[in-house]
Amino acid sequence: MPTEHVEPLLLTDAVVVVDNLSVAFPSRSGSGEVIRSISFSVKVGQRVGLVGESGSGKSLTARAIMQLIPAPGEITAGEIHVGDDLALATVASAKKWRGTSVAMITQDPLSSLNPLVRIGVQITEMLRHHRHVSRADARQRAVELLNAVGIPNPKRTMRQFPSVLSGGMRQRVALAIAISCNPRLLIADEPTTALDVTIQAQVLDLLETMSREHNSAVLLISHDLGVVANFCEEILVMYAGKIVESGPTTSILDGPLHPYTRALLTSVPSMTEELPERLSSIAGSPPAGGVDVVGCAFAPRCPLAQSMCREVNPELRHLDDPDQHVACHAAGDPLWPSSLAEARP
Amino acid sequence: MTTPATDVPLKVEGLKVYFRVRRAFGKARSIKAVNDVSFELRSGETLGIAGESGSGKSSVARSLVQLTRPTGGTISLSGAPVMNLTGQRLKRFRRRMQMVYQDPYDSLDPRISVHDAIGEALSVRGLARAEHKGEVIQLLERVKLPASVAERYPNQLSGGQRQRVSIARALAVNPEIIICDEAVAALDVSIRAQVLNLLKDIQHDTGVGYLFISHDLSTLRFMADHVAIMYVGRIVEHGTSEEVFSNPQHPYTRALIAAVPSVTSRGHRRLKLSGEPPDPGNPPSGCPFHPRCPEAIDQCRTERPELLTTDGAQKVACHVVQLGRTRVAASGESA
Repeated sequence: MPTEHVEPLLLTDAVVVVDNLSVAFPSRSGSGEVIRSISFSVKVGQRVGLVGESGSGKSLTARAIMQLIPAPGEITAGEIHVGDDLALATVASAKKWRGTSVAMITQDPLSSLNPLVRIGVQITEMLRHHRHVSRADARQRAVELLNAVGIPNPKRTMRQFPSVLSGGMRQRVALAIAISCNPRLLIADEPTTALDVTIQAQVLDLLETMSREHNSAVLLISHDLGVVANFCEEILVMYAGKIVESGPTTSILDGPLHPYTRALLTSVPSMTEELPERLSSIAGSPPAGGVDVVGCAFAPRCPLAQSMCREVNPELRHLDDPDQHVACHAAGDPLWPSSLAEARP
Repeated sequence: MTTPATDVPLKVEGLKVYFRVRRAFGKARSIKAVNDVSFELRSGETLGIAGESGSGKSSVARSLVQLTRPTGGTISLSGAPVMNLTGQRLKRFRRRMQMVYQDPYDSLDPRISVHDAIGEALSVRGLARAEHKGEVIQLLERVKLPASVAERYPNQLSGGQRQRVSIARALAVNPEIIICDEAVAALDVSIRAQVLNLLKDIQHDTGVGYLFISHDLSTLRFMADHVAIMYVGRIVEHGTSEEVFSNPQHPYTRALIAAVPSVTSRGHRRLKLSGEPPDPGNPPSGCPFHPRCPEAIDQCRTERPELLTTDGAQKVACHVVQLGRTRVAASGESA
């Protein structure tokens, strides 16, 4: 990769760098910030999971990268660098790299596929627009792509409309379109949430195969920690518009540092281990989007919170493991009233 | 009958729900959404029904509360048949069986305050208006909501709060059975855990029976005493939670359990199913699962397996299991 013209802060092997990004929706009360100064990067070929509950800002992060923040929302601070040469992502430049360097699939492919256009046309138009290939070559490539994503009869599907396909098949088509121009980064926003578990397993497998074959990095956005745990090498946990914990999957699952991450892990009933009489749950609910937050946003629900948490915003920092970052005052503090060490699952 | 009727408030036998669908130029065809389904639900217990979309699990729920008219079979509550009820008898019946839906936006009227929504149910129970206020507050307390929620409207509540209101409203008529149709599916995990704990507490206190319909097996493993796995309108495996989750027999159940992405099972190779569930309007011959089944034998293609008890444990509808070949097949799989 050419790296000479890239800022020193940018990782040379990254496909996207998000630097202090803030997104806000104008609001009568408060700043309206829904993403509050987040930074992360995705490296070449890496599979990164972005986990959080509804309203945590995870989907908006994806849309910010794609320069698709719905009005009246806007990026109020920070920078996003994307693509082959990590150019500064702007709405003007997005046309060039959207679909080629970065592609996205969403939860419901019906909303991204045009219901009135035959599937064949929707795939070939990508190839013809971005790759400038002939009509015949594009058709040939489209059939190959549909075949690769496991569509049983690609030639027939080419002539069909999205509505006749099942949810799983539609997601396969969306994936075929997304990978048609060999993106360096594929953003998958809840790609299997609307699918049954057996189909979910198939689509996740396919996503893994495709990302390996095309050496595409994947940013997988999901509310389901189980999905992310099985798919990603790195996990970012978002809460109320901030990344509260990040690190390698194994570190986060085996040694979660943030009380929120730990609660997420224990509030899903296990399929194999003995079940408790009651699930551990987090009292209360997340703050409404766009509300001004003083201190740690999780403090009102946190069993460990002290007065400091309600006043000072905790910064992301690492403890012993330089790869695992956490935004929590209590993490690693042996003198904290109810020590995290003993509360570990 | 040997079992006292009170022990088995809900008994369903041979339930069939068919829908007639007419295509624009084709001839009418019949979709067998539920086909010969039988189960019992005892007081204070939870029966979980799992299956993928199109398996007929929601049609079972809707026919139980008589939103859909069953095509055949019998449903009885405390020993008395409750089929094709109308008028006053239907009203009385609905007080005994309540339903909580996936999305409370669909079941709560946006123009009616929480107090009035629960109050409606109290009127059905025959409570005078003057007594509503105190009872509403008590019901809200039972679902761990502050009394101030009573004056609010559904759009002023969070998803978790709305679902608690639906539960409070269902409880208002003191039902014997509550049907939860994907009741926690739309909630975030931290909120879901709260609601599941709440449902367990309520069952503990009131002895209400739950018919818990969910596509999420880990939720069912936590909630249910008995589990029925449905595939294309039929129950393919039925037993206690312990039997079904610790020792699943039907290849479909095993695949379904293996497909659950879990933080504890990460790295395990999943047992993969190819293909998709068939069109319930045109199910395959023989065992409807055979086109996707890795263990199918010739018999599966022609003859539909009956739901039979295996080794005194759970019931399974699978020729291979019934022929006792699971062990062989299972060892071949890991090799």
